[in-house]
Formats: sequence, structure tokens, C-alpha cells
Amino acid sequence: MGLVAPLLALAVGSFVILAARENPLAAYGALVNGAFGSVQGLAETLAQTTVFVFAGLSVAIAFRAGLFNIGAEGQLVSGALCAAVAGAYVHLPSPLEIPLCLAAGALGGAILGSIAGALRARYGASEVITTIMLNYIAYLGANYLVSGPLRGSPFAPETATIDTTAMLHPIIPDTRLTAALPLAMLTAAALWWWLRATVAGFELRTVGRSERVARYAGISVPGVILKTMALSGALAGIGGACEVMGLLHRFNAQLSPGYGFTSIAVALLAQSNPLGVIASGFFFGVLQNGALSMQSQAMVPKDLVSIIEGLVILFVSASWAGSRLTVHRAPATADPLAPDGPLTSGPA
Amino acid sequence: MDMSVIVAVLAITVIKATPLLYAGLGGVISENAGVINIGLEGMMAAGAFSAVAASFFWHSVALAVICAVISGALLGILLAYLAISARANQIIVGMAINVLGIGGAAFLLALVFGQPGASPEVRSFADVAAGASGLVADLERYALVWLGIVLVVAMQIFLYRTKPGVHLRAVGEAPHASLAAGIDVVKYRYAATIAGGALAALGGAYLSIGEVDLYSDGMVAGRGFIALAAVIFGRWNPLGTAGACLFFGFFSSLQIALQRANVPAALLEMLPYLLTIVAIAGFIGRARPPAADGVPFTP
Repeated sequence: MGLVAPLLALAVGSFVILAARENPLAAYGALVNGAFGSVQGLAETLAQTTVFVFAGLSVAIAFRAGLFNIGAEGQLVSGALCAAVAGAYVHLPSPLEIPLCLAAGALGGAILGSIAGALRARYGASEVITTIMLNYIAYLGANYLVSGPLRGSPFAPETATIDTTAMLHPIIPDTRLTAALPLAMLTAAALWWWLRATVAGFELRTVGRSERVARYAGISVPGVILKTMALSGALAGIGGACEVMGLLHRFNAQLSPGYGFTSIAVALLAQSNPLGVIASGFFFGVLQNGALSMQSQAMVPKDLVSIIEGLVILFVSASWAGSRLTVHRAPATADPLAPDGPLTSGPA
Repeated sequence: MDMSVIVAVLAITVIKATPLLYAGLGGVISENAGVINIGLEGMMAAGAFSAVAASFFWHSVALAVICAVISGALLGILLAYLAISARANQIIVGMAINVLGIGGAAFLLALVFGQPGASPEVRSFADVAAGASGLVADLERYALVWLGIVLVVAMQIFLYRTKPGVHLRAVGEAPHASLAAGIDVVKYRYAATIAGGALAALGGAYLSIGEVDLYSDGMVAGRGFIALAAVIFGRWNPLGTAGACLFFGFFSSLQIALQRANVPAALLEMLPYLLTIVAIAGFIGRARPPAADGVPFTP
């Protein structure tokens, strides 16, 4: 599978460009040039990749447990807000402040994830629906907080600037590429190992294969669901924290233009493999950053990238049709919004 | 509060409920046939944009509505094909449709009108009504509101009192039994999904040329997801969903009324989402969807 979906999506995208009476080669050329053509360009691409890797890992790890986390967007916002508050109001030296802010971000995301996890584990509420709703609750709540109690700027609804000791500084001068990217890659590698080599990782995958089998094996399915959603939320939350600590240095509710939704495409393209998420996160980083050059140089609106993203999701979903998504499913219960139902069967 | 404020709040309630209602009815019909539609948001964006583009080029509100319906039906066909024929995961396909609908509208907005952000003003329902007076003007100005009310009643009767409607629900509850009884499961699911797409797009058209007279990025603003919530809240039937839409619309209108009263708007805005979580978790009676909702049908 691997490369087929993005290549097909780019191919269909080129027809879209043709229909717009522009030259696909020129457009993709400008995109690639913008994304790779200079040290600054490449560094920006990698900076954009970071958030896709964290959010992609969030969705991927949930998929592995058979859970569909559509809430990475809200978890990212919540994590970013918590990190910004920690960064602005706690004053510590860097070696303490940076881990603290990352932990605050993880906690912010994990809280939202856990709510969805607990409702699913305890009441059988579909995490698809609850995470969608929590996205809006997080966005509106954050917007309210930075417009009122947490407002730290006289000019815009945003928090105060975080301490210098809380900032992640560029590792290449004059770019926005920070240590957040290596951190994201290490996290991906650690998750890959954890899934393969630990009992907890095995339990998570078993629940993803079949909740019934997991139950027979004596695994606490509700426990795994709760822990997975907390971990999934924490990963997205760290992604949000890195946006604040490395790029924006403060929080506003508009900080994510839908990274959490793109991360669904990232995870699907990576077939939920944490190491694959690095590659697919990079693919979407290239698209995201290159789109601006494509728009300014080849006159193709940058929103072409969204169309390509949607096509990637479609092609991946179609290629799985009737195979893995249904084969490993526990017997369908009558209620798809209840625990064993098909809504919750992600790619195993 | 005097009478005029109450009347204004009620009027705004209905106006705010209408786009949710169309998308919600779209969700009701497809989910009753067993296809869950997470892509309502994208279908609304497609409808809202198509209506504006058609009205821009042909200066006709009727053609605008027709184009919106076609755009939604096309996305409905895409969802139907992948969900029913290819048996893909319906949630994933729905998310793809959201991305395609919203991204496609933004792409075309920049391309067709040469300006990102918002389209120019086009001929809208308000312009049509400006030529008339009295009752006729009201009928024309709020044509989509009246049509929405008619559709609720019509769909309730269709689903519960007619043979094709009962068959449609049977297909969503027990597809294999329906097949054994000689009902064409695939045909019903296709028809319901395509109709659902068309309805959601009509809700989008109401937003762009019914409420205002242009398309702007982010205009749908999560209404497709609130509609999804309204379907759950309304227990998957048209009347219940209409009730939920009115309830959510009431909170939108309260927000407007209470803006001066210094009540945090965000907290009121959150309410539909919070209530949906409460409903789906079963705290206020079990919300039970059609039994085969979201399940691919394998004969």
C-alpha cells in the first residue's frame, strides 16, 4: 500500500490543477521547491512536520486499540493552553521549566482524552461522537479563558508570552526548527518499541484486534480503553505544547488550522505504525509548507492541499474496504455505539 | 422582557434551527437506512458554496438551490459507493468528505472569485423577496424555512406511515431479514445516503443565500457536527431531531439576546456539545441508533 494512496491523490490533484487551467508540473515544482529548495524552506517543512507527527501518533495509537480518536484537535488545543499557562506563570530554570511545560501539555490533552475514554469504557458512549463534541468544548472553553481570566495581552485574546526559559529555541539559526522534531521522532520510536515489546503494548493491540478475545485473555478492556485514550490525548497535547513553546510563544484559540483533523490522514497513511507516522507526518509537512509557494508562484490556491489530504483518506479507506477493517472485528453487537460495535473498529 | 423580545427570540430560534434541521434530516434518513454520515459538515460547505457560485453566474436563486442539491447528492453518491459497495469504514469516509467539502469550497472560492476568505455578494432569498410585499414577501424570504418545516412532517410520515419508509427503516435495523423479505437493501441505502447528502447541502445553501448572500470560509462552523448531535438527541427520528434543532437554535438566539447581559457566550455555545455527550452516555435515557447503523452490508 504505502505510496499508492499519496501518489494517486497527487495524480488526481494534478487533474484538479489542470481543470483550474494551471500547469500541474509547475505547481508541484513550486511546492517541492518551497518545501525543500533552501535550508530555510526545509527547516520550516520540518517544523511543520513536528505537530503532524505528535498528532498523528495520537490518532495512530488509538487506532491500534480499535479506537477512533477524532479529538486530537481539541486535545492539541487543550495541551497548548496548559503549556502556555505553565510557561507564563511558573518561573523556573530551563531544565525544569521545559519538562514542566511539556508535562502540562500532556496533562491537558490527557484530560480530554480520558473523558472520552471513561465514557466509552464505563457507558459505552462512542468515542467518535464524544471526541467530536469535546473538540468544540475545548475550542470554546479555551477561547473563553483567553478572552477573560487568562487574557495576557491588551491587543488580542491570547495568553501572556511564555518565559524565555520555557521556549524551545531554533536548532538551525534563523529558522523555526526546534528540538521538538527530534523529540517527536524519539517519541515515535519509543511508542513503536512499547507496542511491540511490553505487556501493556500487547494488551493494547489485543483489544484492538478483538475486545472479546482480550476479555477471554483476562485483559481489563475498560482499563486499556481508558489508558489508551489518555495516552492518545497526551500525545496530541504535547504536540500543542510544542507549537506554543517552539513557534508561537503564547496561546490563542486559533493556533491550530485543523492539525488534529489532518492527523487522521497522517495516521491512516502510516497504517497506524508509529515509525510510519514520521514519514507520513513529513509528507503532510511538505504539503503544508510547500502550498504557500505553490500559491504565490504557480497561482494554484493553497487549499489544493486539503483536497489532496481528503483524497489520501479516501484512497486509504477504499483500499482497506472489506478487508482488515471487518476481518478483525469482534462480532457486531446490535448497537454500533456500544463497546464492540463496528464504529470503533480502527485498522488493527 | 417584553413581548417583542420574546417574539424576536422565537423567530431567531427558528432561523438558527433551519440549517441544522436540513443537515439533521439528512443524517436521519441515511442513518435509518444504516449508513452513518459523519460528512454532513463537508456536504453543507459544498452546498453553501455551490449555491453562491450558481447564483453568481446565473443570478437565479432557484438554480442556486438546484446546484446545491446536486453538489450534496454527488458527495452522497461518493459516500454511498464507498460505504455500501466498497464497504469502507463509514467514519473514515465521512471525515474524508468533510476535508474534501471544506477544502474544495476554499479552493474554488480562491479560484473562481480570485479572493480567499469570502465571495462577493450574490442574489439571495432576501433579494427575491425585496420585489414582493406582505405575505408573499415573507413566503419568499423564508421559503427554505417553510420547506424545512414541511420536510420534517413529510419525512416523519414517510418513515413511519408508508411502505417504502418502513422498508428503509427495516434495512437499517435488520438488513439480512430485509433481504430475505425481498427488499433491495443496497438500493434503499444508496437512495437514503444520496438524499441525505442533498438535504445537508440544502442546509448549506440556506446558510449562504438564505441567511446572508455570500460564502465565506468557515461559514458552516461546526453546524454539521451539531446536526449529528441533533440526530442522536432526537433519537434518530425526524420530529425528535427537529425538536433538538429548535432547542439548539434557541440557545443560539439566547446568545444573541444575552450578549448585552454579559453572559459568557462561549459557555452557552458549549451547551449543545455538552448535552450531546450527556445524551450519548445514556444519562438521560438510552440513545439507541438503528441496529445496523454504520455496519457494512454483506449479503
